[in-house]
Amino acid sequence: MLTKDRIGGILILAFCAFYAFKIGDIRLLPFQRGDAFTARTMPMVLAVLGIGLAAILVIRPSRNLPDLRGLDWGRVAFFLVWMSIYGLSVRPLGFLISTTLFLAVGFAVLGERRLWLLAAVSVPLVVLFWLLMTQGLEVYIAPFPEGWN
Amino acid sequence: MIEGILIGLSTAFTIENLLFVMMGCLMGTFIGMLPGLGPMSAIALMIPIAATLDPSAGIILMAAVYYGAIFGGSTSSILINAPGVASTVATSFDGYPMARKGMAGKALAIAAYSSFSGGVVGALLLLVAAPSLARVSLSFHSTDYFALMVLGLVAVAAFAGKGSMIKALLMTVVGLMLSTVGTDQTQGVARFTLGMIDLVDGISFLLLVMATFALSEALMAILKPKGDAARLEEKEAAQKLGSMKVSGAEVKEMAPVIGRSSILGFLIGVLPGAGATIASFLAYGTEQRLAGKKGAEFGTGSVRGLAAPETANNAAATGSFVPLLTLGIPGSGTTAIMLGALIGYGIQPGPRLYIDQPEIFWSVIVSMWIGNIILLILNLPLIPYIARILAIPSRFLLPLILFFSLIGVYFVSFNTFDIQLMVIFATVAVVLRLLDFPMAPMILGFILGGMMEENLRRALLINDGSWSFLWERPLTVTILGIAALCLVLPALTGQIRRIKDAAYKRTGASGD
Repeated sequence: MLTKDRIGGILILAFCAFYAFKIGDIRLLPFQRGDAFTARTMPMVLAVLGIGLAAILVIRPSRNLPDLRGLDWGRVAFFLVWMSIYGLSVRPLGFLISTTLFLAVGFAVLGERRLWLLAAVSVPLVVLFWLLMTQGLEVYIAPFPEGWN
Repeated sequence: MIEGILIGLSTAFTIENLLFVMMGCLMGTFIGMLPGLGPMSAIALMIPIAATLDPSAGIILMAAVYYGAIFGGSTSSILINAPGVASTVATSFDGYPMARKGMAGKALAIAAYSSFSGGVVGALLLLVAAPSLARVSLSFHSTDYFALMVLGLVAVAAFAGKGSMIKALLMTVVGLMLSTVGTDQTQGVARFTLGMIDLVDGISFLLLVMATFALSEALMAILKPKGDAARLEEKEAAQKLGSMKVSGAEVKEMAPVIGRSSILGFLIGVLPGAGATIASFLAYGTEQRLAGKKGAEFGTGSVRGLAAPETANNAAATGSFVPLLTLGIPGSGTTAIMLGALIGYGIQPGPRLYIDQPEIFWSVIVSMWIGNIILLILNLPLIPYIARILAIPSRFLLPLILFFSLIGVYFVSFNTFDIQLMVIFATVAVVLRLLDFPMAPMILGFILGGMMEENLRRALLINDGSWSFLWERPLTVTILGIAALCLVLPALTGQIRRIKDAAYKRTGASGD
């Protein structure tokens, strides 16, 4: 039975196995190889612990089946992609345009349909936040696309 | 000690720092009230601002946010039965029934007075306990510190709840693993960077906290949208509060409850891993038993039932600062975030903090008093207005939380790679949350990872590469023994209970 514990256990087991595999990439100088403690010691202990614990979680009996009913996966997937796009656009588009777009589209996706309200909330908020950061806390962030500044 | 208090007072009682306490309390209440966002997210959201301040002001701000968020969590527990954090779950047992009876204002006032009393008594006990423990811990060696860190990590997992211990331990190990990403501090070797230059400095603590708490909590709210009925109830609750007056008889009834719960809460809070949640449940259970016939009123809107967990969770929040300030070992997820912030300032909490930077040590303690007073005199009258935040539609609130989380991290590093890394961590955190894997042990593991490795390395160096320090030094052995007990005890008590139940059923059956 694929329970919550087992799914989580398998995912973390895979992560721990990858982590253990990558320990080999940690380069040690020849004179360090005989040391009691090297840059590989802690990762090795952790890999063994992680694999052991994840294996117990996968093997031990559990009954907590995942309940995926009523979950809005589409919107979450959208926001994950949208956040990633925001990260890519904040420099080329500048803070004001990219953030206004990020917020307005976010509000719209979550159900706000009135265009005037989308603009009335996002634009002043972004401008005020930018002013607070640049004027108040002296943290500079380019407001407009690269060519405009 | 008097000298220390004076140092603390002179540091905390500047206009600037008082403003930070006020701002922190208000912001904390505001954030803590949002269902799903607890003290950890509140503090994480404050770190970018705190990073621009001097260490004392930054820590004062974060401590105030911590208190405010706990109080804010109680407000949403009472008004809409939606505890923002586990430590205010017990508050909703009697707070929400009171609100349903039209006494939301009174319930909020009792919560505020109880929190205040718990916080003040806790700070008083902290004043006595912290310096004494700091003096004792000066004799600790790196082997003892290593053992203490093991104890801290194990204790958090042990208190994770029935059936969750292995999950919590596993998440702790994952946190420790993530802490090894980047350049090894002693040997200068790159580890687990996957050839990416952005990972050479390791994963930012703020990034991980924001992604796994603030971002993932907002995404969880998007994933599990609330029905129209729940939203309507929130709106109505935010508008109807009723009177905030507490009668003399009620004060008399609550006074001993508050006294007992303060001490119990503080003592539980000092224990690594136990924290405010256990303290609140324990205080609730204790008072229910002590109430005799009145115990039956618990769960239906009892003032004792509300005062006990509210006092205990605030006293425990104060108590959790004892191991942080004196040993440099956080006892909870929240204090782990504060430790990360302190390290960010270049401050290493521990027994030396008390000697080397007394202004920070004492100003934190003094600011706890100020924070509690401000919570009472400023927040209580403002509650009717602050509660209106519950009426802000989630379609506006959630994108804003996402934005503040992303930009908070971006403004520290100005590296867009961090935003992409946050998205990855938030995705993983959402999946793990759905599978009921706790996030706090991971953060604790991440924060303690570097220190744990350093202390283990030092211990091995001192012992000529021999691991014998684990069983030769009495103090280390004792601490590790307690850690082992923490691991074994929950399983053992469960087993004993099962045997007892089976025996009871057998004798019951034969008696019939």
